[in-house]
Amino acid sequence: MRIIVDEARCEGYGFCAEAAPHLLELDDEGDLKVLSEEVASGDAAQAEAAVRVCPVAALRLEP
Amino acid sequence: MTSISEIPSLDLDLFTDDVLTDPFPIYERIRNAGPVVYLPRYRSYAMGRYADVRAGLADWESFSSARGIGLNDLANEATQGMIIATDPPEHDQLRDVLASRLSPKAIRELKADIERRADELVAPLVRQGAFDAVNDLARAFPISIVLDLIGLPQNGRDKVLGWADAAFSASGPPGPRTDAAFPLLEDQLAYLSSIEPDQLTPGSMGRAIYDAAAAGQIRQESCVPLMSAYVTAGLDTTINAISNAVWYFAHNPEQWDLVRQDPTLIPSALNEVLRIESPVQFFCRVATREVDVDGLRLAAGSRVMMLYASANRDERKWEDPTRFDVRRNPVDHLAFGYGMHGCAGQGLARLEGHSILAALARRVERFEVGAPVRRINQLIRGLDALPTTVRPVAETA
Repeated sequence: MRIIVDEARCEGYGFCAEAAPHLLELDDEGDLKVLSEEVASGDAAQAEAAVRVCPVAALRLEP
Repeated sequence: MTSISEIPSLDLDLFTDDVLTDPFPIYERIRNAGPVVYLPRYRSYAMGRYADVRAGLADWESFSSARGIGLNDLANEATQGMIIATDPPEHDQLRDVLASRLSPKAIRELKADIERRADELVAPLVRQGAFDAVNDLARAFPISIVLDLIGLPQNGRDKVLGWADAAFSASGPPGPRTDAAFPLLEDQLAYLSSIEPDQLTPGSMGRAIYDAAAAGQIRQESCVPLMSAYVTAGLDTTINAISNAVWYFAHNPEQWDLVRQDPTLIPSALNEVLRIESPVQFFCRVATREVDVDGLRLAAGSRVMMLYASANRDERKWEDPTRFDVRRNPVDHLAFGYGMHGCAGQGLARLEGHSILAALARRVERFEVGAPVRRINQLIRGLDALPTTVRPVAETA
C-alpha cells in the first residue's frame, strides 16, 4: 500500500502528520513531507487515519 | 434498476421558527428515513448521515457546486462565479488566491498578533465580570481581525456583519425570509464593487485578490465574488463557534475544568463545539449524473442538501453524539465541509478559536449564562445574545 499526496490540493493543515508521524511530517517551512510513500503493514491503520483527517481530501491510499 | 421513487419522501418544513430554533429532531428523522430522502416542499433531496454527506462532498464530479449551493434560483444565479458555486478548473484558480493567504503556512505570522488581540479583548471583559458573550466577545473578535486582514476601508465596516448574515440566509427556499435577505446580499456586492483596489490596505488579503487579477491569475470579474467570500464566510461562522463554546462550557463546567487543567485539549474542544453545534447547517450540491447513494438511485439533476449539522450528530458515526466531550477530538467533523470546497479559512478560524479559548482558560474559572437569544438564519445556526457572568480565576500572589 502507498500513501499519495495530491500536492495541488494539500494546504498544509498537518492533521495527517499528527495521525501518521511515521509516514508524514510538516517541515519547518510548513510544507508536508512524505517520509515514506510505501506503507508498511504495521502502519496501515496510521495511513488510513491520515487520509480520514485531511480536511481537503488531499491524501489517498493506493494498493 | 430501482426507480427514484424508492427514495423515501418526507413532507417536512425545515425552515419554520421552531425547526430553525431546534432542527435536531428533524435531522434525526431524515437520517433514520434513509441515506438520502426527498423533500417535496423544496423539490430537493437531503442527505443527513455522516458517511453519505462526506462521500458526496468528496465526489465533486458527481455532486457539482456550479449550479449554486442554495435552495432558490435567484440566489443560485446571483452567486454564479463565487468560489462556493464553482467546479474545477475555475474553482482551483480562485482557491489558490485564497489559500495563498489563508493556508496554515500563510497565517503562521499572524499567530502572535491574534493571541495578543484575544488577551486584550478577554482581560477587561473578565475584570468587568458580566458581558454579552455574543456582542462583546464572539462578534468583537473576528470583526476586528478579519476586516483588518481583508484591508477594508473603515467606511462601510459597520454594515458588513448584517450583510454576511443575509448572504447566507438568502440561499434558503423561496419565501419571505429569502425575499428579505436577498436585497442585503445585493447591497453587499454593490458595496464591494464600489471599493477601489487602492482603498484596500497594501499587503492585505483583499488587495491580494486585485493583485492576482492584475497578474492574470484570475479574471477581473472574479475580484468582487472573492471579496464576498472573505466578508461572508469569515464572520458568522467564527462568531457562532465562539459564542456556542461559552454556552457549552457554562452548561458543562466539568468540561471547562478539563480544558483549564490541560490547555492542550483546546484544539479538541474547539472541534467538539463545531461538531455539536455546526454553524453552517447545510449547503447544496447538484447530481451531474445518476448516483448510487447507499443503494438508492439518485437521478441526474437532483439538488441535494448536504446536512453538515446532521452528519455531525449522526449516531452511526459518533458515540453518544449529543454528549459534549472535549476529549473526543472529532477532527473529521464536517462543520468546515470537506474536500475540495472545505473551508479555505479554517486555519484562521481555528487560530481565532484557539486564541480566545486559551485567553479565557487563563482567566475564567466558571461561566454562568442566562437565556440565550437565538438568531434565526436559514443556513447558519447561532446566537444573537448570550448574557454571561464569569467567576475569575483566583489571583495568584
